[in-house]
Amino acid sequence: MANHRVGETGLSDSGPSSQPVAYGVHGITPAATNFFDQEGAAYFGELEEALMQGVAGMRNDGDRKPFFTTRPPTLEIFPSWPMRFQQTPKCQQGNSQPAESTDSGSAQNTISQPDSESPGSVKASSEQSSEQQQQRMMAGDAPSAEAAAPNHQPKTQDNVLFRRVAGSTAEKDGKILDAKSLRRLAQNREAARKSRLRKKAYIQQLESSRIKLTQLEQDLQRARSQGLFLGGGGAGGNISSAAAVFDMEYGRWLDENYRHMTDLREGLQAHLSDGDLRVIVDECLAHYDEIFRVKGVAAKSDVLHLITGMWTTPAERCFLWMGGFRPSELLKILIPQMDPLTEQQLVGICSLQQSSQQAEEALSQGLEQLHQSLGDAVASGSLSEGTDVGNYMGQIAIALGKLADLEGFVRQADNMRQQTLHQTRRILTVRQAARCFLAIGEYNSRLRALSSLWASRPRENLIADESACPATTDLQIIHQPVHSHFSGF
Amino acid sequence: MQYQAAESWGAAYAAMGGRADPLERVERLAAESAVVIFSVSTCCMCHAVKRLFCGMGVSPTVYELDEDPRGKEMERALARLLGGGPPAVPVVFIGGKLVGAMDRVMASHINGTLVPLLKEAGALWL
Repeated sequence: MANHRVGETGLSDSGPSSQPVAYGVHGITPAATNFFDQEGAAYFGELEEALMQGVAGMRNDGDRKPFFTTRPPTLEIFPSWPMRFQQTPKCQQGNSQPAESTDSGSAQNTISQPDSESPGSVKASSEQSSEQQQQRMMAGDAPSAEAAAPNHQPKTQDNVLFRRVAGSTAEKDGKILDAKSLRRLAQNREAARKSRLRKKAYIQQLESSRIKLTQLEQDLQRARSQGLFLGGGGAGGNISSAAAVFDMEYGRWLDENYRHMTDLREGLQAHLSDGDLRVIVDECLAHYDEIFRVKGVAAKSDVLHLITGMWTTPAERCFLWMGGFRPSELLKILIPQMDPLTEQQLVGICSLQQSSQQAEEALSQGLEQLHQSLGDAVASGSLSEGTDVGNYMGQIAIALGKLADLEGFVRQADNMRQQTLHQTRRILTVRQAARCFLAIGEYNSRLRALSSLWASRPRENLIADESACPATTDLQIIHQPVHSHFSGF
Repeated sequence: MQYQAAESWGAAYAAMGGRADPLERVERLAAESAVVIFSVSTCCMCHAVKRLFCGMGVSPTVYELDEDPRGKEMERALARLLGGGPPAVPVVFIGGKLVGAMDRVMASHINGTLVPLLKEAGALWL
């Protein structure tokens, strides 16, 4: 049998109009499933079955004309093809419309589900009407085909056959089907069913992915508006996994720290005993130890992320020194807040400030030498003429080594910060220490608020009206101690 | 800062005769000055620790191990002494006693124990 695969050229995803056209090709079904992805295959399978009716019908008159004579209302899928249809009698039309409606009721089940899943899916909707028609037609055919007493007819070598199918009034005249045709019909039905199921599964998958995507976007939006600590790193796109992990842990640390701040504030206001307050203060200090530990771990994998401060907010980044706060600066801010201090305490704090300044200076100079040698390594040899590969690789190795040395500096800086906090705790009384840690928290919180304001400040080219709005809401941020965002520790 | 030249040091050592254990040498060298730093000339952290002492007005004795013929052994000995891996430098001895690597020195300075130690060793005057 010559199987003419006419469908390949024509049956694309053109929108079906009113009614389906029966159009199919012998033996195309298995290939069609690969060929037209989801929708075409289902379409094909059903069409082919319908076609079989036509084939049998055509044999009757031996008319080798591949086209039908009359033109019923049909889907104008192939406007290029001459739309001449012949009324082909179907033998098994014991059940006509009533049966169709009941059958299509069951067949509609598979249709209705896509309805609920994806009303927005273009492909599904465009196919639905045609599928519905096809379903009905096929449903009508199915019982009739199975009930058929096969009247054997010689198969003709017809190529393309059209069959008139009016969806609601499917007149299936007496059709004679032989065993082969029956088997083929069954196979086609099976294939069509499978492809329908696949399509359904695919659509479900798409829908769930869409939902997930919108949820992720919402989360991202919320995170961005809250803390901006995803800030530059996220926008940059290329963030290492270690950096992403650290950002996440830092976020969690901030939330936890906010809790400690609340405890401190309430403890002070409630005038707890020194013993109770000490517990809270020491908890707070231990929490700072935790972030230094986490930073140490992160420095091993991605020191550049730490040292460039992409995990902090922009305003904090302004004050960043070696991947965190500058201890002497913090002390300078805190000393006025610590009043009243005893003379001994004052001496202690001042010498602490002096030592931290000296230590900072030493580390800065060491870092400067690192920069120098790194720059020398990168710039070695001629930059404008060709590179000497051997020497170049050696210098690159040196440069990599210098970058690795950065980790040591960030570690030492964090170490210094940690020691400064501990020493401050030692010098002060419990109450003073509680106020001190609260002050640190509040200071950093304000820095974060500053970052938010800065990000949302009105630009010059905005309309004057708009500039009024952000101010009122943003001012609320400052006065709320809700967001306890802390600068780089 | 006083840098011990390798040659004169080597000559003095040869005069003493015999081949000493690297750790012994380290300890002997450490005992000779109030503040002793074992360093590597290209190491930036060593540079930082040197700047720290100079900034405090202390004049430490520095041994650059990469310029010493037996520096490698001494570096290994120092690493064993500190109980960690590389880099072994910088290592600081004050008054012949081991203070430690950079983190110990920093911590000691921040918590206020470094200055008394220096004064005790005679490296720092008021």
